[in-house]
Amino acid sequence: MTPLIRRFVRSPAGIGGLAMLLALAAAVVVTPLISPYDPYALDFGNALMPPDAAHWFGTDNFGRDIFTRIVAGAVYDLRLATTCVFGPMILGILIGLCAGYYGGWVDDALMRITDIVWAFPFYVLVLTIVGVLGPGEGNLYIAFFMVNWIGYARIVRGETQIIRRLEYVQALTILRFGPARTMLRHILPNAVTPAVVYSMSDLVLTVQAVAALSFFGLGVQPPAPEWGLLIVESVDYMRDAPWMTIFPGLAIAWVGVAFALLGEGLATAMKPKG
Amino acid sequence: MRVRMKAFLLAGCLAVSSLALSAASEARTLRVAMGTDAVSFDPIATSDNGSIWTQLLIYDTLIRPDKTGTGLEPGLAESWTVSDDGLTLTFQLRDAKFSDGTPVTPQDVEYSLRRAASEKSDWGRFFRPITGYEIRGDHEIVMTLEKPFTPAFNNLALFSAAILPKAKLEAEGDAFFEHPVGSGPFVLKEWSRGSKIVLAANPNYWQPGKPGVEGAELDIVAEGSARVIKLEAGESDLILDPPLNQMKTLDDKDGISVGQVVPYRSDFVMLNTTKPPFDQEKVRQALNYAVDKDALIKGVLYGAGKVAATAMPVMAYADPALEPYPYDPAKAKAMLAEAGLADGFSTTMLVNSSNAAHRNAAVALQAMLGAVGVKIEIQMIEGGTMWETTKAGNYEMALSYATSDTIDPDQLIGFLAVNPERANAYHTQWKNERLNALYLEERSTINGEKRGQQFQEMVRLFREGAPDIFLFHPASAWAVHDDVKGFEILPTSNFRLEDVTFAD
Repeated sequence: MTPLIRRFVRSPAGIGGLAMLLALAAAVVVTPLISPYDPYALDFGNALMPPDAAHWFGTDNFGRDIFTRIVAGAVYDLRLATTCVFGPMILGILIGLCAGYYGGWVDDALMRITDIVWAFPFYVLVLTIVGVLGPGEGNLYIAFFMVNWIGYARIVRGETQIIRRLEYVQALTILRFGPARTMLRHILPNAVTPAVVYSMSDLVLTVQAVAALSFFGLGVQPPAPEWGLLIVESVDYMRDAPWMTIFPGLAIAWVGVAFALLGEGLATAMKPKG
Repeated sequence: MRVRMKAFLLAGCLAVSSLALSAASEARTLRVAMGTDAVSFDPIATSDNGSIWTQLLIYDTLIRPDKTGTGLEPGLAESWTVSDDGLTLTFQLRDAKFSDGTPVTPQDVEYSLRRAASEKSDWGRFFRPITGYEIRGDHEIVMTLEKPFTPAFNNLALFSAAILPKAKLEAEGDAFFEHPVGSGPFVLKEWSRGSKIVLAANPNYWQPGKPGVEGAELDIVAEGSARVIKLEAGESDLILDPPLNQMKTLDDKDGISVGQVVPYRSDFVMLNTTKPPFDQEKVRQALNYAVDKDALIKGVLYGAGKVAATAMPVMAYADPALEPYPYDPAKAKAMLAEAGLADGFSTTMLVNSSNAAHRNAAVALQAMLGAVGVKIEIQMIEGGTMWETTKAGNYEMALSYATSDTIDPDQLIGFLAVNPERANAYHTQWKNERLNALYLEERSTINGEKRGQQFQEMVRLFREGAPDIFLFHPASAWAVHDDVKGFEILPTSNFRLEDVTFAD
């Protein structure tokens, strides 16, 4: 692993992305300790204050400090985005491994299911699932688990098909290693790299998707300071109090850029030599 | 991505508005942007404001509420007499024509009102007490009641008592309402559901010189901020319900003025009294004590409203001495403790996702009730499905409102507080036998002090029983370009576009 870390450290993009995420994490940990504001308490006397020394990002229509709320909301957005990416990622990797390793009818069956899910535009499918199940964080997870795995399944299947034919895998078969051990211990480490890189760009899109679903009222429910909710709540105030919209938007952009840079760094680090 | 979308929308608005500006000088059509579309133009099958407001522009009633909301004035009936016992109503019809040129006859009146009283009608019980119709000549109709029913006369001013052309409706059946014909100031020209309602002036309208505009285009624009942008871009002449927080900024703009009026409307949180702990009166009262109504008016309505003592609007026979529940969280907590809920409880609240003021009120209520230990999970719900959901009893709390379509409190008290009646105390299933008895008495008592006392006692019982958390009477607001004259929202929440003119 050391060469991997060394290569990652040498990639300015990767370090930049990591630093951005660490800065956010530090804010999440430190802010509740030092902020004089409660992200939920109403204070109508201080409503719609522009950014100043007391309220760095201003206050919203209920007089709540927007900086405190955005930082508190980071927990929601990061939890949702990472769960909605890494959960389906594990599922997709297992499906891709099986399809690629066994081939034949197993491959046919799994890939036809993938094709069916792939055929629908992402938002149409997620909106339909959440629409049927009803809004809420739990149902958001279900919707993403049903949709988000296909990319990983396709990537890992392709890699597995190539690796399966390599001599060392054939040697394992001759040595009568079980399929589970062969797949998880010997194929997976070599097949997973593109999936990991892909997951970083997936995170960028998922942060946006989670915020968008909350914007449409299908995701996290008020008064949670989830970023998409902060934006939808700001719509009527956008013209008089643009800070209510701008800062949550910047927060989404911050996390998006951070993951994109991190992905770039990981791709550089994991690229096979030669 | 979202930012890009907004940029697109903005660019689109600007492009369209420059086109609209060049066209505005020729056409004298009033362009209105409002939040809700009509559902149907059949007056006996609707109860939503989008439908009611539009129907009142197309149809006439015999009599109608006047602009002050305190009396009734002539509509299609030029004059009338009500016998002393209230059992005989005689109307003289004016010389009026439907928009297709056929005259309005007493036969049309009888047909329309019998239809409104039929089994098919959602409003049947408003008109069923009228049992006899006698037509005398071309302009006179006499209605008789078997037993006294005081609201009967006032009910004829309801939109559901609209006078429709008998021959045409009989010939066409329900298809009539796709291109309805009425005697009102406007004719329906085009209706693109969810998008716009285009009205043309009725050339046969009975009020000389009206309407003052060639037509009216009602654009359905759900988002309040989008309506404001349309007004500022010159794409609309008049918008309904601008977001209340933007009223001051709008008023300060050159060429734009705003108006507001508190109509017969009240907003409240319905409590499903079949579900514990809302079955306990003490709990319901405690919730009323826990809400800081003044803060809601300041923080959610930006001052545009009044604190409500009950869900009954302040209208005829209102008791001026009736006090709202004071804000007293300590008392609320103590009462909850007495009810065995010292640790509070968790519940859910339905909120119409497209109502900005309600979205904000819900967040404020969540914090206020949270302070006395009541944890509320907000459930945003599409406005169109709210009624069916609460009617089926699938809710615990629901943020809602009611408007009165008449000037007599009978309509709303029956809707909000009487069970069983039209809506089982507006889906709360709350029941008070004394109030039910008073409702029957009120309906057979002639207008006067005694009927007033009956109403006041009913409202007191309603306040004490607290099937709802009573919040506020919000103002209805509008904003217009300065060249639009004569627009106002009436106490009955509707508006008369026939009175609007362009100044130049």
